[in-house]
Amino acid sequence: MRAPTQGELAGPRSLGRTLVQAAGLVLLGLVPLGLLWGNGYWVNILATAYLFAALAASWNIIGGFGGQFSLGHGVFFAIGAYTVARLYLDLGLTPWLGVFPAAALAMVVALLISWPTFRLRGPFFAIATMAINEACFALANYSDRITGGPRGILVPFRAGFSNMIFIERWKYALLMFGFMAIVVLITAWLRRARLGHYLMAVRADEDAAAAAGINVLRVKLQGMALSAFLTGIGGGLFAMYVRVLDPPSLFTLPDIGVKFALITLIGGIGTIIGPVVGAILIVPLENFLRGSLSGDIPGGHLIVLGAVLVIAALFLKRGVVGAFLGVARRRRGAS
Amino acid sequence: METFLNILLSGILLGGIYSLVSIGLNLIFGVVRIVNFAQGELVMLAMYATYFCFAKFGIGPYYAVFLVAPLMFLLGLVVQRLVLQPLQNEPMMQIFATFGLLILFENSVLAITRGEGYSLAGAYSRAVVDIFGLQASLSRIIVFLAATTIAAALMLFLQHTMAGKAIRAVIQDRQSARLMGINVSRTYLLTFALGTALAGVAGALLAPIYTLSPYIGGNFILAAFAVVVLGGLGSVPGAYLGGLAVGLMESFAGYYVDPALKQAIWFIIFVAVLVLRPSGLMGQAGAEEVGLREQG
Repeated sequence: MRAPTQGELAGPRSLGRTLVQAAGLVLLGLVPLGLLWGNGYWVNILATAYLFAALAASWNIIGGFGGQFSLGHGVFFAIGAYTVARLYLDLGLTPWLGVFPAAALAMVVALLISWPTFRLRGPFFAIATMAINEACFALANYSDRITGGPRGILVPFRAGFSNMIFIERWKYALLMFGFMAIVVLITAWLRRARLGHYLMAVRADEDAAAAAGINVLRVKLQGMALSAFLTGIGGGLFAMYVRVLDPPSLFTLPDIGVKFALITLIGGIGTIIGPVVGAILIVPLENFLRGSLSGDIPGGHLIVLGAVLVIAALFLKRGVVGAFLGVARRRRGAS
Repeated sequence: METFLNILLSGILLGGIYSLVSIGLNLIFGVVRIVNFAQGELVMLAMYATYFCFAKFGIGPYYAVFLVAPLMFLLGLVVQRLVLQPLQNEPMMQIFATFGLLILFENSVLAITRGEGYSLAGAYSRAVVDIFGLQASLSRIIVFLAATTIAAALMLFLQHTMAGKAIRAVIQDRQSARLMGINVSRTYLLTFALGTALAGVAGALLAPIYTLSPYIGGNFILAAFAVVVLGGLGSVPGAYLGGLAVGLMESFAGYYVDPALKQAIWFIIFVAVLVLRPSGLMGQAGAEEVGLREQG
């Protein structure tokens, strides 16, 4: 058996203190926005970074705390995006409300596909969820009545608060930041809640967790439901942010499903603030590389991203936050 | 009846392609317990290497295979030692690492070729053979025969040689295998390289059939996973027959349902098998959980 790593065993800290700490760290995320205020290009990238931080934090609930390596979160993301767009276009429902049925639908679908696939462990679960993602990719291309098929859906630009469409990019940045803050606070709460402890017990050893009286399947399903619900909201925000929804932009694994996991890995799997750190590092890096490399080298930014993924898997298993906590702990131990 | 036979034949030949691609994946999966998401990209690399042999040196794909397969074996040795060996007991990190390799290989080829599509098809896939009045392309028949030969040779190798017996012992129980004096870490290394070399064979033989693209690996990998899950972990006949089964299902569903839904059909097969019989049709029951969290 492996020794429990940092963050795996609950310390004596109270829920209140964890929440305050998480809130403080999240507020630090506003610093880059303040520094780059007025620079439309970078504010835009920050908005994406905040959104992906929130999505990675949602993935982290089941992927990090629960140890269930889902590659299928693109499905919940896409359901959120398509539902919000359809409700807005067909029924005129404001996206502020539309995200809730969208997230609920993502959650229901997540429960339906997870119930059989949660019988699988480790890499088998990852393969099955990847297959789900690809199958839904094909279905989205196929059912043009709902998704517009390969051409996709275009949400017309009608700026206005109730449409969640803004001219100023900083409004999007604040919107995404708010969503990120909510997701991070939910994970901070989860970390101290019964469900969080159950999820971590399942990750550490499923058989032992079951022997200790934990209903493993139910815990996994609860974690997945929460994760998919939040991912669905993220998909809805994404829909109103980019306003062009075609299947490749919602289902491509390296851009969506795997990206959530990658960001979490870089920041620190199973930590509260890791996904935020990961997104604030990876999203701007990727945009910068795309701008500077892809003109000369097609796919250049993805070469770097692939290499980062391999190197992080080899040498940075606990992410930036994990490495930082490790150093801090050693220093405390030495003094 | 004629249509039916045509669909049957094209399904079997497509199944040959899936079998060929899946055998290497299944060997790696069953023995080393690594889910190699980059297996399709290994096939893709071999396809480009084969094209390169033809374009630069005029070596045809059916000769180039003897060059490409050993090169892929070497690549397999390097990848296993540098990337996968250090992650042997960390399934989650393995997924990250092999997915990183997938993105890396795919985009490196994209960068080198600048997205230009290459094709050997003009020179090789026109030849057509007549089987009892049905037309079939020669290059696909060669793939089918190669898949059959490789499956048979691999089964003989696993049954009758010491190295093959060591591999089977590791599939069954790596702890006990180690206690019996088998060098498990070297078995992993050689098996992974062998699986990579088989991807090389597949790539060389498939080069005349497909138009080359950096993303072509994605066409194989999901089908190959479906085959592996269907056939059973680490089982060579399972991969071979599973490949044929998936090829037939895709072919019939493509004709009678809709070709656009083939991925959905793989997925249904997939989940049905995973749920009903997680060890696959020809796998050892319970094999899917062996070695996932074990030390050593």
